[in-house]
Amino acid sequence: MFPALARNLCQLLLCALLPLPALAQYEVPTQQSLWVRALLDVRIVGGGPAPSWTDHGPGKMRYGGSNSPTGFERDTQLVLSQAALQLGASLPWGMRAQVQMNIEHDVADGYHPWLVEAILRREWGSGERGWGAQAGVTNVPFSLEHTGPAWTPEYTISASALTSWLWEDISLIGVEGEWWHATDTGVRLGALVGAGYGGDQIGRLLALLGWAIGDVIGGVNGDLALPTGTQRTDIFNEHDHRPAMYGWLTLVDESETAALKFGYIDNLGNEDHSGVWHTHFNTIGVVLHLPKRIDFLAQYLDGVARVHTPPNDSAVSAYYVLVSHHYGRQRLSARYDSFRVHDLDGGPTSTNEHGHAVTGAYLVQFGLRNQVALEYIWMNSHRDATGALNPTPDGWQISYRFRY
Amino acid sequence: MVTGPRLRSIILSAFLAPLTPVHGGAPAVSGNVISGDGKGVADAVVFVLTPTPALPRGRPSQVLDQIHKTFVPGLLPIVVGTSVRFPNHDQIHHHVYSFSPAKTFELPLYKGEDAPEVLFDKVGVVKIGCNIHDWMSGIILVLPSPHFSVTDVDGRFVLEGLPAGDYTLVAWHELSKLKPEATAQPVRIDGDVTRIVFNLPLAPARPRPAIHGVWGEP
Repeated sequence: MFPALARNLCQLLLCALLPLPALAQYEVPTQQSLWVRALLDVRIVGGGPAPSWTDHGPGKMRYGGSNSPTGFERDTQLVLSQAALQLGASLPWGMRAQVQMNIEHDVADGYHPWLVEAILRREWGSGERGWGAQAGVTNVPFSLEHTGPAWTPEYTISASALTSWLWEDISLIGVEGEWWHATDTGVRLGALVGAGYGGDQIGRLLALLGWAIGDVIGGVNGDLALPTGTQRTDIFNEHDHRPAMYGWLTLVDESETAALKFGYIDNLGNEDHSGVWHTHFNTIGVVLHLPKRIDFLAQYLDGVARVHTPPNDSAVSAYYVLVSHHYGRQRLSARYDSFRVHDLDGGPTSTNEHGHAVTGAYLVQFGLRNQVALEYIWMNSHRDATGALNPTPDGWQISYRFRY
Repeated sequence: MVTGPRLRSIILSAFLAPLTPVHGGAPAVSGNVISGDGKGVADAVVFVLTPTPALPRGRPSQVLDQIHKTFVPGLLPIVVGTSVRFPNHDQIHHHVYSFSPAKTFELPLYKGEDAPEVLFDKVGVVKIGCNIHDWMSGIILVLPSPHFSVTDVDGRFVLEGLPAGDYTLVAWHELSKLKPEATAQPVRIDGDVTRIVFNLPLAPARPRPAIHGVWGEP
């Protein structure tokens, strides 16, 4: 026994005193409690002839043409479409903080950042069964398309008319509670309820401007151009001190091949207050992840936006169908959009609109951080207030995106 | 410099292990990994640091799965020269990557079994992440020897199949304050089963909280 013990002790001394081969490769990099991510999107865009709604024009896409002595003319521009900064933090008690600020100078009419998201979130349980609660600045979780980095559309450059509007026009300060549960059969159920202030003018854009196609990410401190003159409308707008209430139900099969989603929101707006709109809508969506790397999305929205004065009560509806095929770094998508606004009160200015659009997009990733995308949109829309004008017959974009 | 916890390990192994051999079983070395407060440490890896055997080619590949936006298992110890498959059983895309010096790679957005195998040909820690879901984190521990064991919830381990000879064993844990060499314990395998104890003080952890709800669906 003693020789073995002596040998062991000698080996121990050697271990302690002699330099061993460097073993730093076994060290685990410390996970930071704070993290930063960013997104930069630069594009060459060729819009339709009419100036964009973001320039107070009748154009229905984010980028349009310009005024000329003979009417409208097309423009090709190099633009900084988005600069997004995301900050995150792990906090005590398993809490997570998350903030996102965006610069979209063409939409904001300047380079001041918009606060897109600022939340505190806590979850209990696991991915199988659990609860979550969060508070802060957030959108509503109704878009099936805004699932890319920094809440950008994942399948195309521009989102559908339906979800473009959701992310342009809604930014609330409030609370959300969420529950998710995988049943014994594997079916996953989810329910989310939320309440938030700042939605008193949800629907105003649709009534005054109609549906548009783009990728604007609204912020709580932002405002958006209206078609008349130089007027703008605040995204966060609270006069009646009634919170918007919303819910989102999800049903997903065991293999997560199919998901059915249903959402409802009512801003509970008190029309007796000047400038307050009472808007409610419901939306239903389907996501299918089919064989051969094909994704299928369809979503429908139907609702009503009412206001006392001026009389612009409108029924709004839209749907889209999107098919996307991906292979490794590449994705090819096609989407059909249909949208409509129906004037309910026959006011002096009709809000009637109908239109449809077809979008084709090809996206390719280069490494972890780079994406190049091409998109073409063909659109046909008619709005009674602008006569026979079809302001945006088509438009194209080439986007380079850097993700840090 | 021999630190307090290490000194305790040395004393335990030097005096307890040689004096308390366990006879008659197939396992060659068994024991515990305990933290500074004496509690068992789960998910620690005890492995043979030296000698390193000549490794045969053609080992079967291992699997690091992705289920419900989680790497499964969260810790995968393998022997150097092993390939790993990264199937994604979520219906959302993952973009698996590592910037670790032991292996830098990325598997661009994919689902199912689309991603190719990755060969791990250098010893060390490979921290795995998802470029989309920042809370997803996994570790592949690439080891110099096929003789390793992961501790159970009580911190117990069993190292089987060690041929007779002299070995240096070390213990590793993601949160260990000690480098593996600071835990080294020499062991002679001569037919008896030997018990050893590793003392592994751990740093506090604050993992990045997950988003399992609808806001984590991208």
